[in-house]
Amino acid sequence: MIGAIARRLGWMIVVAWFVVTASFLVTAAIPADPARALLGPHATAEALQRVRVHYCLDRGLVGQYGCWIGRVARGDLGESYRSQRAVTAIIADRIWPTAQLALGAIVLQLLIGVPLGIAAAVRRGRWPDHGAGLVGLLGQSAPPFLVGTVLLYVLAYRGGWFPISGYGAGGWDRLAHLVLPAMTLAAAGVAYYARVVRSELVDVLAEDYVRTARAKGLPERTVIGRHALRNALGPLVTLAGLDLGVLLGGAVVIELLFAWPGLGREILLAIVEVDLPLILGVVMVSAIAIAVANMLVDLAALWIDPRLRHG
Amino acid sequence: MIRRVQRVAAVAAVTAAVAWLTACDPPDRGPRFRPAGAQAPRGGGTLRFAVNDQVRTLDPTYSYDQIGYFVLHPLFDTLVDFSPGGLEIIPRLAERWQSSPDGLAYTFELRPGITFSDGAPITAAHFKYSLERALTADHSPFTEYLGDIAGARDVIAGTAPACAGITVDGDRRLVLTLARRNPGMLEILAMPFTAPQRADHVARAGDQIRRRPDATGPFVLERWDEGERIVLGNNPRYFDPARAHLDQIVMLENIPRDTQFQMFERAELDTADQLAAPDYLFVMSAPAWQPYVHHTAGMNAYGSRMNVQQPPFDDRRVRQALNYALDKSHTARLLHGTAIPAHGILPPGMFGRDPAIPPYPHDVARARALLAEAGYPDGFDVEYLTINDEETETVAGSLQSDLAEVGVRIHLSVTSFATWQTAIARRSGPALSFASWTADFPDPSSFFDPLFHARSIQEVDSTNSSFYATPELDALLDAARRELDPRAREAMYHRAERILYDDAPWIWDYHRQTAEVTQPYVRGYAPHPIWLRDYSSAWLDLGPDGAPVPR
Repeated sequence: MIGAIARRLGWMIVVAWFVVTASFLVTAAIPADPARALLGPHATAEALQRVRVHYCLDRGLVGQYGCWIGRVARGDLGESYRSQRAVTAIIADRIWPTAQLALGAIVLQLLIGVPLGIAAAVRRGRWPDHGAGLVGLLGQSAPPFLVGTVLLYVLAYRGGWFPISGYGAGGWDRLAHLVLPAMTLAAAGVAYYARVVRSELVDVLAEDYVRTARAKGLPERTVIGRHALRNALGPLVTLAGLDLGVLLGGAVVIELLFAWPGLGREILLAIVEVDLPLILGVVMVSAIAIAVANMLVDLAALWIDPRLRHG
Repeated sequence: MIRRVQRVAAVAAVTAAVAWLTACDPPDRGPRFRPAGAQAPRGGGTLRFAVNDQVRTLDPTYSYDQIGYFVLHPLFDTLVDFSPGGLEIIPRLAERWQSSPDGLAYTFELRPGITFSDGAPITAAHFKYSLERALTADHSPFTEYLGDIAGARDVIAGTAPACAGITVDGDRRLVLTLARRNPGMLEILAMPFTAPQRADHVARAGDQIRRRPDATGPFVLERWDEGERIVLGNNPRYFDPARAHLDQIVMLENIPRDTQFQMFERAELDTADQLAAPDYLFVMSAPAWQPYVHHTAGMNAYGSRMNVQQPPFDDRRVRQALNYALDKSHTARLLHGTAIPAHGILPPGMFGRDPAIPPYPHDVARARALLAEAGYPDGFDVEYLTINDEETETVAGSLQSDLAEVGVRIHLSVTSFATWQTAIARRSGPALSFASWTADFPDPSSFFDPLFHARSIQEVDSTNSSFYATPELDALLDAARRELDPRAREAMYHRAERILYDDAPWIWDYHRQTAEVTQPYVRGYAPHPIWLRDYSSAWLDLGPDGAPVPR
């Protein structure tokens, strides 16, 4: 087990390095001058040159990469060009809002998606199944900017039940601000979870042990809740774990639409302004989040299902 | 039976929802409040507004973007300022000043009793420190603004520890000596980076200086949740109570434009600007909102720049032809009347603008004739670089169809702002592109010199992005910089306008106005041509309970 974890950690570092290096090359290929993005169209040649020297931008591709990777090795992600603020401090500020949004979305996906999937599986071919199918189709095909805009218009602007935008002051206010973005982020996930639960449950319900349980005369509630559902939820744990990793990277469109101060919005602003250290820092954190989530999911699977340990 | 009931219920629910949404009874979108009717300004209250970006730093030595100024201007008083709603220079922390007859020395007498927000007195040495900090700070965007002060070049180069041209005489007198006359010097001294600073405060704050403004203005920083909101509070020690009625000013960051207007309509915001097209058209067509809509002409110019060193734009007739081909009434319509047709770089209201020059008329026959004369009877193909901004793309599409009429086929290439500004600053960059300019300070030299002087041409870092320069214009601009008599100076800039009109290094298109709408109870406010959204002298005309009075 410990060997497996160590191997995983090693791979994680390799993956993070690879992703960040690829991002560096892509960003460097953008024909936009970060110094000019920083100082604006009025900047004189002298001022631009001073900025380039300050940020190693005068050194060519290899020099810049060396400059950056050398700092990362010392645990310093550098400072954002635009705000002259430590990238680690910016990420520390932004990761908690993103985490709240991710957790909110996962909770909604489970709370809505799982019952919807159960209803569809149990009443297969009848209206709950069709209803869940319709919700699934809408949730998966509608892009988040549309879902978000509609929710915002109906529930906040017209209805006035939720604040239109922003992060809220904390406590209940934060929760009220969280609902709409989390719902938007969860829309596609709800649909997907419902479909997974439905198809797993439909398979399990056809198993012999379910027929045995029914034959014993157990109430349907117990048959589904105790016997069938437990065995159908395995893939869901994997799914939710992987989702959490992806969602921790930030949801660009939704954070932008709802003025949610998370990582997704931060990286978009950084890309627009060619803020290289910030782009690389956020990418690195996202890559690590996904790698860690993968690792935890694998470990959880080992722990839940003893058969895998000897496979 | 049950299934039928369910079906009926579902249909009924959907119908009800659709009916509610499509609203047989549309909400009243007029103002929900009215002014309470106070005769004199009242103190207190919180004014809330929003921007669709975020502030990078509150360190005045570095803050350089427009939204930064929305909070920096209430935080930092400087020696002089622009008059409310205008461009006249008025005293602020300086009680009075004098310039020498040769325009090379300025002497400022500080107002007695002025203090930082903690009560410590402001002295002339604090101004010397902040000016020298701008000269020596790593990559401050303002270093060059002070380059005309005697000895400044040595400080920038690191060969002198202090600037010989900035001298202090006692606590209350500051003398600036220039090496070269600079007609925009007073305007530069109205910029927040020249506000007095304390060396010990800067040293103590360290890398937190960007969050710890040492306020000298009517407001102080109460709270900054970065990327979310900035809260300014009233500075009780401020010397002029008429500039600090509000208890608080709250600026919400990163709120998208159309969301801002929704929040405004739900009274979650007290003002909204940069209205997106449908909201703007709505406000302009609703008579009830009219009294609360404010327009400001910005210090800007928009159009297309041509690289005059690249064919076919090295031929003046081609450049003129493109100016004749553009139909400015299209732009005006597309921008819903917020665009003023341009004949050159200087916007209306700017000193030196010659109102007698009419914008190029839309004349297709003339354009074709000029193209034929220049050897392009069938027009030509050319790439047009523009930025991914809704307004700019719309205007580019309109230009494309106008130019097609005279046979010039432009192929739009859309890119980010950062890539665009890098590309057009290179001599080898695109021959034709979108162009815009917003002046740093309201002096014609802030338009002409960076854009059309030979000195501003570089291989890769040109601010002169049309690479246009003539010895005649250079000489004229240099003479205008030195000229002390305003009338003679104005005549020189009129001449410069005429030269640029004829030589047409840009396709002159329009100057942009902004529109802002406020709640009826916001009084004592109008957007400023330079600071735009400075609410320091605004006040809220609320009911006796401190709440807005419903209509």
